[in-house]
Amino acid sequence: MRFLTRRLGFYLLTAWAAVTLNFLIPRMMPGDPVDLLVARLKGNVDPAAIEAMKRAFGISDAGLWTQYVDYLGNLFRGELGRSITFFPTEVSTVVADSLPWTIGLVGVATLISYVVGTSLGVLMAWKRGTWLDGVLPAATFLHAVPYFWVALVLVFVFGSTLQWFPGSRAYGLEVTPGFTWEFVASVGYHATLPAVTIVLASMADRILGMRNVMVTTLGEDYVVMAEAKGLTSRRVMWAYAARNAILPNITSFALSLGFVVGGSVLTEIVFSYPGIGSMLLKGVENEDFPLMQGIFLVISLAVLVANLLADLAYVILDPRTRQ
Amino acid sequence: MKRFTLAVALALAVAGCSSSGAPKTADAAPPLVMHAIDSGTFQENFNPFHLEGVNFGTTGMIYETLEYFNKLKPGEIKPWLALGHEWSNEGKTLTFTLRQGVKWTDGKPFTADDVAFTFTTMTRHPELNKGALEISGTKVLAPDKVRIDFRTTSYAKLFNISGNTGIVPKHLFEKENPVTFTNPKPVGTGPYKLSKFSAQLYEMTKNSAYWQPGKPVVPTIRFPAYTANAVQTGLQQGEIDWAGAFVPDIDKIYVQGKPEVNKYYFPPEGVVSLLPNLTHPVLSKPEVRQAISLAIDRDKIVKVAERGYTKVAHPTSIPMPGGEAFLPPEYKDASFQVDVEKAKELLKGVDPAQLTFTLLVPSPFTDWVNAAQLIREDLAKVGITVETRGVAFQDWVSKVGKGDFELSIRATPAGASPYFQMRSLLFSELAKPVGTAATGNYQRWKDETTDKLINDYAATENLAEQQRATQELGRIMVEKLPVLPLFYSPAWAQFRTNKYVGWPSEQDPYAMPSPYTSPDAAVVLLNLRPAGT
Repeated sequence: MRFLTRRLGFYLLTAWAAVTLNFLIPRMMPGDPVDLLVARLKGNVDPAAIEAMKRAFGISDAGLWTQYVDYLGNLFRGELGRSITFFPTEVSTVVADSLPWTIGLVGVATLISYVVGTSLGVLMAWKRGTWLDGVLPAATFLHAVPYFWVALVLVFVFGSTLQWFPGSRAYGLEVTPGFTWEFVASVGYHATLPAVTIVLASMADRILGMRNVMVTTLGEDYVVMAEAKGLTSRRVMWAYAARNAILPNITSFALSLGFVVGGSVLTEIVFSYPGIGSMLLKGVENEDFPLMQGIFLVISLAVLVANLLADLAYVILDPRTRQ
Repeated sequence: MKRFTLAVALALAVAGCSSSGAPKTADAAPPLVMHAIDSGTFQENFNPFHLEGVNFGTTGMIYETLEYFNKLKPGEIKPWLALGHEWSNEGKTLTFTLRQGVKWTDGKPFTADDVAFTFTTMTRHPELNKGALEISGTKVLAPDKVRIDFRTTSYAKLFNISGNTGIVPKHLFEKENPVTFTNPKPVGTGPYKLSKFSAQLYEMTKNSAYWQPGKPVVPTIRFPAYTANAVQTGLQQGEIDWAGAFVPDIDKIYVQGKPEVNKYYFPPEGVVSLLPNLTHPVLSKPEVRQAISLAIDRDKIVKVAERGYTKVAHPTSIPMPGGEAFLPPEYKDASFQVDVEKAKELLKGVDPAQLTFTLLVPSPFTDWVNAAQLIREDLAKVGITVETRGVAFQDWVSKVGKGDFELSIRATPAGASPYFQMRSLLFSELAKPVGTAATGNYQRWKDETTDKLINDYAATENLAEQQRATQELGRIMVEKLPVLPLFYSPAWAQFRTNKYVGWPSEQDPYAMPSPYTSPDAAVVLLNLRPAGT
């Protein structure tokens, strides 16, 4: 119990630090959203109207401290303000509209990558010296290349050249969103390439991690014992070795769940996927303080919650951490 | 292979004949797919008072302006919802006579009340006053006559008043807070109605009760969401009929060997100039600016950095063709010439050690970065050392605004007539002290004659007098070089003629061809007719 309260205190402090950084970072960028707007609108707005527009967007010249207090107060009431880019849409609406796409895409892809990667790792450790070892250099290679590079290659080969899969958007233009088979199929079809990107680029971690721990575990006495008892090799592999080796991988899975929300910005941009990453890019381009703050907040909270879950999982799985 | 293609072509031709033989109905006309602004997703906002966040087509296609200003022919004003306007009281009162028989798409008649309400809303909510109009009051004189009063002489603001303000229905907008209202079911007077909306696509269908009989011909317009990356693929694969995008290699990506179908037209919509910071002791010397201007090979910049998409600017900076009447007569045929010897001559009296400048460019604008490199090479030939420095777009906007630069490149929008561009480039009121963000005149040009000319223009509604004032300003541009015009900033427009014809062209520049310019895009749509007619 003491452990739990200490952790909670720590998380509260981290949350406050994250919220404060969210406030400060966008404000450290040079320039001003309205000046940028005027520079972008090519004379569609009279420069003399800028002052009035700043008021509309809720941009104040008040001191940083006053702004900070206002910001904390609004946050406490759950108000994220209105986006400048999508004025007058509220930031919470923008986030709520884009979050499901990201969670759906990245969440499913992370899950697939975890299951497939871990199983492959187990198999590779078990069947050392067979053809499966050939996967290792491939995995190391994929581990080294950045997400967006994989994404670009996939778009080029399967999107543009072969035209097997769409290279942009979340669903076809002809379908109307709704709970219809047509829409769901279209979403799945459009998510294929981005999901494959994420799976390919993140799976290597799991394979390597699982394989390495598994190799060590396989040398343990209780595994030798199990084999000596004449248990089936499948039972030894999964119930004796893998079950013990999976501990560190569970932690890393919990942590990667936190990055589901913010971790695939580049993939979303390459595929023009309407998720939180694309919105963040839009917000940064336009110096849309409220939108950036809102998205950063959601991302940092997601990471914190995932960390907390990882902590709890460890407490449950490993009695030694309960001290 | 050749025979095979011939057979296919024949088959297609036969098929084409038989289908054109069938009776054509208006509803059979194909939809037009438009790409106006890069966007991953759309928000449901059709409130014409908003600047950003509002979906393209709101002003022009749904909400209409009182008059139409052709930016490609400055001075050409067409009646639209208003039949005409009349100034009185030294430019402080403007009376519009309105078209009768116009109806909102919900069947209610359009009247002077709607016009008065639209302008009153801007005074009540200053944050919606994007044209910075100094309105003191509005008055409905008759169902078809409305008067707007201003605190100051407002002749020069006519475009903002009647050319850029979409008129909204009073009976619907008075129930809402116009600042935050997103107007998901817009009711306008324009040629189109919103028929479908989703985050990736919205669609407009024609208003069959539109006041221009028989128009529009295009029954449906579709606006799919394309990001800047996706639009290139869209153009390449022929998904888009009308776009306003920068295409890096247009012949390969878009034209694809079919210049008669896959057309483009990039008229000037402003001028890109080299800004010399006039608060800099060396750059404030006219002979130094003259020398810089003489050393720069603008033809090469246009050909190499701008891929020949645009033209070298006229020395007055006035957009050409179109601005002929605004040119000083003696500079009608003037053009920039490279003269390295003369430039060296001019620099003789300046200490060579002082001729070192930093040229600030926004690094995402790769064409400007290339232009900056070429300028650096050209200036090296006359003994001027230039260091080019690329910074983030936001940083560049901020630095140029505050006057924290030595040399920079920036585009100035042309506006409805060359005056807007000249004012924004040269008016001393816009030049803020270094360190304070300015909204124009970034190089900080301060000259009494210039200010007087700008004020003269704003004090008259006589076109000939306005042209005379602009001509004088053009003379100052050529002779004193307050900024160094480089080339015109092009308006981007790609359009295909396989479905519809009648697009603007250099021969018939009846409207800005870019799909992102409103209300011009609606004017273009009203001029389209099916291909083959």
